[in-house]
Amino acid sequence: MIEFNRVSKRYADHDALRDVSLTIATGEMVFLTGHSGAGKTTFLRFLMLLERASMGTLRVDGRDTARIKGRNIGRYRGEFGIVFQDHQLLYDRSVLENVALPLEIAGFRPRDIQRRTRAALDKVGLLGREKANPAVLSGGEQQRVGIARAVVARPRFLIADEPTGNLDPQLSAEIMGLFEAFNRVGVTVIVASHDLALISRLRHRIVTLKDGRLVAGAGL
Amino acid sequence: MKKPATGLGTAPRPTLVSWIHHHRQAASGSLRRAFRLPVATGLTWLVVGIALALPASLLVILQNIEAVTSDMRSPARFSVLLEVGASLSDAQDILKRVESRVDVQDVTLIPQDQALARFAADTGLVGMLDSIPDNPLPHTLLVNPIDNVESEGLAQLARALEAVRGVDQVVFDTLWQARLAGVLQSGRRLAMGIGLLMMMGAVLILANTIRLAIDARRDEIAVIKLIGADDAYARRPFLYTGLWSGFGGGLLGAIMVGIFFIYLAEPVNQLLQLYDSDRRFTGLGIMGVMNMMFLGGALGLFSAWHAATSQLRELEPR
Repeated sequence: MIEFNRVSKRYADHDALRDVSLTIATGEMVFLTGHSGAGKTTFLRFLMLLERASMGTLRVDGRDTARIKGRNIGRYRGEFGIVFQDHQLLYDRSVLENVALPLEIAGFRPRDIQRRTRAALDKVGLLGREKANPAVLSGGEQQRVGIARAVVARPRFLIADEPTGNLDPQLSAEIMGLFEAFNRVGVTVIVASHDLALISRLRHRIVTLKDGRLVAGAGL
Repeated sequence: MKKPATGLGTAPRPTLVSWIHHHRQAASGSLRRAFRLPVATGLTWLVVGIALALPASLLVILQNIEAVTSDMRSPARFSVLLEVGASLSDAQDILKRVESRVDVQDVTLIPQDQALARFAADTGLVGMLDSIPDNPLPHTLLVNPIDNVESEGLAQLARALEAVRGVDQVVFDTLWQARLAGVLQSGRRLAMGIGLLMMMGAVLILANTIRLAIDARRDEIAVIKLIGADDAYARRPFLYTGLWSGFGGGLLGAIMVGIFFIYLAEPVNQLLQLYDSDRRFTGLGIMGVMNMMFLGGALGLFSAWHAATSQLRELEPR
């Protein structure tokens, strides 16, 4: 369970988040929406411990994230799968090597890495492209590689920041379908998106942020 | 009801096994990366190699000089010339006094008649010396100090012998050895000093190389830290890059020293033969090569650790 309790983030010139309180249940799928600068990315950055709250607390499965420090940050981040709008793939490695990265960091055996990486690529429809360099793939395929990398270690939480931002409607729907598939097997999914048309078609909670404030979707 | 995800599913390997695996991966990956950039790698190795080769060459040359001169050395000894008018009994008195000193091992008296006879025999001037009415040579004491007396102790003994009544002059027969020892000691310190400066230069260059390598892979590091890698994981490949640069530099330095010594060996060996020495000019040897490689590796590791630790701490994902 993820609990934001009156979380605020103040920068020198503006407030990125203001007094946000929100609970996301384990196994839930939530869309985070709002205009550019509404605070969606800051919200996700809090979850990844890339930002710390100026005020309030964030608890993940009962742990106060303010107390997670040093080498435990890496372990904590390993519980999350993250999908970026710009994919953030490593272009000097193959598709397989990109997807295998979280498993290598977690210390899996090579044969388990192979097996699980191929399974993840199969789920996103890229089996057969393992040896390709991500740079030669289309935008949609690169996003699938990013999703495969995010889920390969079977994270408990999957977060995505504008994952369909650069994709056409059909590919966007496919990507959302993948997130729903992972949510069906129990992964808590949080997707930041401003594509209201797309996310309103899906039957999940929509949390709306405006100027750093939570304006809709706070309740479970 | 959906079953919540349970994390990593199949458990990862035990920490130690996984740690060893990470090291193996980082070691082989950084070596592959080094060979993919042969010019940059070669230049780094060359810099480290030169930094190690110069002091190593100096030290080996000094070792060779020490070995050669040790064959020619004799124990330190003083010739104590007594005043010309001193009688034999005076000389024997002085001998007893000198012999009683703790820093003297033994003393031999060469009476003036015996000295003159030896001089006549050595020079073949027997007839001419017979025509001299008085023996111009004084009684002489040959004083051998105890073993392992430092140069300061020898100087003290010389001053004490000069102060003895009836002593005219003290001649330090092995002064050249003391001077050579001083020169060699200075040379050793010079080599160490140069070595230290060169190694500091190598450390700075290696640290800068690692900083540039980290900078070139800034985005990659940010991504791997974001998907769960800690600083140690992110740092590891760079530590191996430093280690390989140092090892490679050490090996290249040893090769340079070897080539230099091959070039030097022939004329030096000819010179040694002219001095009837059985010694031959020797190079680094296997142990010397190993030492240079390990020293290079240690320098590389130290530089990389210093550069990577400080830089990675500041490099957080955006």
